[in-house]
Amino acid sequence: MPKRLDTSYHKRMIAARMDDPEFRAEYERARREIDQVDSVIRQLDELREAAGLSKAELARHIGRDPSSIRRLFTAESNPELLLVASIAEDLGAEVRVVPRTRVRRGSSGKAERATTAWDARAGAS
Amino acid sequence: MAWDVVYYRASDNSVPTIDFLEGCPTKVAANLLAVLDAVAEAPPPKYSGGGKWEAMHGAMGGYFEVRASGPGREQFRLFCVLENADPTELRRRGLPSPAIVVLTGFRKPWRTKFSERDYRAVRALGDDHQSNVPRWIAE
Repeated sequence: MPKRLDTSYHKRMIAARMDDPEFRAEYERARREIDQVDSVIRQLDELREAAGLSKAELARHIGRDPSSIRRLFTAESNPELLLVASIAEDLGAEVRVVPRTRVRRGSSGKAERATTAWDARAGAS
Repeated sequence: MAWDVVYYRASDNSVPTIDFLEGCPTKVAANLLAVLDAVAEAPPPKYSGGGKWEAMHGAMGGYFEVRASGPGREQFRLFCVLENADPTELRRRGLPSPAIVVLTGFRKPWRTKFSERDYRAVRALGDDHQSNVPRWIAE
């Protein structure tokens, strides 16, 4: 039976570094910023799935190259939203994806009326 | 299920990433480690890392980098590979669960590029890591 490695080094290191107030404050700030960006992209992806659209179909709908959509949803590129999230974080706000209406698609795959849209709202908290 | 974050350990028992992090400004280290934790908590193929975790391409295909900026826009990078396989194969490698393996880190002035020599050095660490069964990691 192969030796089972102890993989706790990282968690122990983070715990030790958290004793430094400067590290803790920056780590927590960075996590809030990262979580905002991740939340926006994941919500968009969830909306895409709920609408029954493949990434390629979504790309066609918005006139973009399919690879750009694939990269966006698989963390293979840096979304421009990072700057938005950084600004929102600095302002004590957050970026939200807000569906305006429920998507209804006909047999053609096209939206029959106002489609799900998303807002990037930066509302001061 | 969250993944582990582990650090490649060389045959001389040095851990390049830990040496690198100890030389980073505190805020830079905090940012780099925050990205690793975010990705470990929501691992691929989920979107994660806030745009600071990126898949590399070309000769570096299969590697991932964590990005952070420091004072004077100096750029800091961690280079990683993923350990994701069926449980039997993970056990053979000594790993209890899938993991992000952090190989090493480099820094560079703003608007400069790493050299091919730098990337070769990263790949050499990756090759060494994958040649070890069980894996050699910081414990």
